[in-house]
Amino acid sequence: MERILHQERAILRHSLVERLEHWILALSGFILVFTGFGELPMYKRYMVTEIPGLSWAGDYFINLKIHYLAAMVFVSIMVFHALYHGWLGHRGLLPRKGDFRDSAKTILSMLGFGEEPEADKYLPEQRLAYAYLAGVGLILVITGVFKVLKNLPGVYFSPWFITAVTLIHTFATIFFLLGIIAHVAALIFKVNRPMVKPIFTGKMDLEYARKRHPIWYQRLEGKSPAAKEAVADPAMEVRETETVKEPIQAAESEKETETIGEPLSPQTPRVESVETAPTEEEPKEA
Amino acid sequence: MEEREAFNRRSFLKRGGMAAALGAAGLMGITPEASAKTGTYATLIDLTRCDGCKGEPMPRCVEACRKVNESQFPVPQEPIKDLWPQKKHDDWSKKKHVIDRLTPYNWTTVQNVQVDGEEVFIPRRCMHCDNPPCANLCPFGALNKYEDSAVVINHDLCMGGAKCKGVCPWGIPQRQSGVGLYLKIQPLPAGGGVMYKCDLCHDRLKKGMIPACVEACQIRLGEGRPLFFGKREEIRKMAHARAKEINGYIYGERENGGTSTFYVSKIPFEKIHARLQESKSPLLMGKVQNALDEVNRWAKGFLFGPLVAVAGAVGLAFYQRSKERKGEK
Repeated sequence: MERILHQERAILRHSLVERLEHWILALSGFILVFTGFGELPMYKRYMVTEIPGLSWAGDYFINLKIHYLAAMVFVSIMVFHALYHGWLGHRGLLPRKGDFRDSAKTILSMLGFGEEPEADKYLPEQRLAYAYLAGVGLILVITGVFKVLKNLPGVYFSPWFITAVTLIHTFATIFFLLGIIAHVAALIFKVNRPMVKPIFTGKMDLEYARKRHPIWYQRLEGKSPAAKEAVADPAMEVRETETVKEPIQAAESEKETETIGEPLSPQTPRVESVETAPTEEEPKEA
Repeated sequence: MEEREAFNRRSFLKRGGMAAALGAAGLMGITPEASAKTGTYATLIDLTRCDGCKGEPMPRCVEACRKVNESQFPVPQEPIKDLWPQKKHDDWSKKKHVIDRLTPYNWTTVQNVQVDGEEVFIPRRCMHCDNPPCANLCPFGALNKYEDSAVVINHDLCMGGAKCKGVCPWGIPQRQSGVGLYLKIQPLPAGGGVMYKCDLCHDRLKKGMIPACVEACQIRLGEGRPLFFGKREEIRKMAHARAKEINGYIYGERENGGTSTFYVSKIPFEKIHARLQESKSPLLMGKVQNALDEVNRWAKGFLFGPLVAVAGAVGLAFYQRSKERKGEK
């Protein structure tokens, strides 16, 4: 769970679960896009099959099997994501009112115009990107389910339906890919780069969080009114001192102690915000 | 004349009415009635009766097919460019006269092989599979399986990637470059033309007529003809009765997971297949499995995976919650 790790001058931004969700989704998504493009008859024509190790890519049925496997993983993570975070009330990545306006302001500020609006755990454009990828992902999954069904012997759908589903699936892939490109392209801006480390290690630099995500930071610090709603967790006192332990792994070893340096927020020890949201950008359902 | 009966207008309308009644399902494009079976109609091709229209300039079925479909034949834009980065393209527009194989201008062909001193003529065209890989796997949904059994290419939507040809166990669809939707996205080097093949005279079926090839065969040979068309079950029974009668074999009933074309022959199809192979024909008659069968076995995972995910999410969420509560105390 997100919290300030004072000793490390960092904030635990993404739990192990969230990071696993992100990377499994990223990997399966990559495989899906690659094998999906393999279903367009193009790898032979453009001689991708001549790249060592990719000779299989010209085989539609091998591509399809890998596509199925990756899709199972992708769908499973989506289901997990929706249920797990939905249950725990994590809402940080859901778009909010004014996100379009704030995104525009944020992007303009990156280009050197104006001030960046104060951000919560996620920048407004991250919330929009999440909604976008989740939406396109969901379209791909729903159309994909029908595509799997229609391959089964004895399952018949009317021609117009198959054509519509197929075209939507094919073209949604392009929109999905554009979303992923935009997601990675955000790193063109130097100011965004400190967000890379947390998706690997879970930890965001404290100073960066204070500047870039002031609302979030202040809430974790217990200074914002939102903190009142947050669940105070005395156990956190102990936990916050843990060095690098993940919440899940650390669960058992939770009791392990190590005295903490005086936290920045004397009053409210540690707050476990209900706001915890998953990784910053996964194309998962909202 | 079972095929005429099979095709009377009333039964046709009745079917239509039933389909309409399934409105709710139809909304999703699901037609449960059709899912139980395969397609309404089928063709019987009795090889013991086909003489390849000996003595005629062109087999009647081939001739009729070409005539009926002429309006659908491609008219490519010259010059036809190579399909970059490949240095080739498919152009049959200068070889329209070719009838000894399938081309974009010839959707039916009659093969001829000698087996054990006997001459066998084999009318060939799309088999109209029950679970066609071509239609299932077209990335643009440009190939559709209809309830009347026909597998039809939408020439306006086809990009000519020729995947359908690649996944067809018989390599039936044929490409003509220089025509179709892909020209509109040039100079983008994507697409390659339009694919063409037999559509079981889908439009004629809609009008209550039978496929042109069968009709032409019937005109020439009457009841002794090799080609029959009608309700699938009737045709299937006919095929079995005939096979029993001649102590022969059936091809097309199980091949590729079942098709709407039943060949009957006195000579085992393995032998015919071997001869065709020897003659280097691209159109064979081997035992073919539907490549989708293996893929379909994996589909269960789409139930299993998410179930595991649900269990995992619930378990982990509970654990997380109880941890929080413990913390509160």
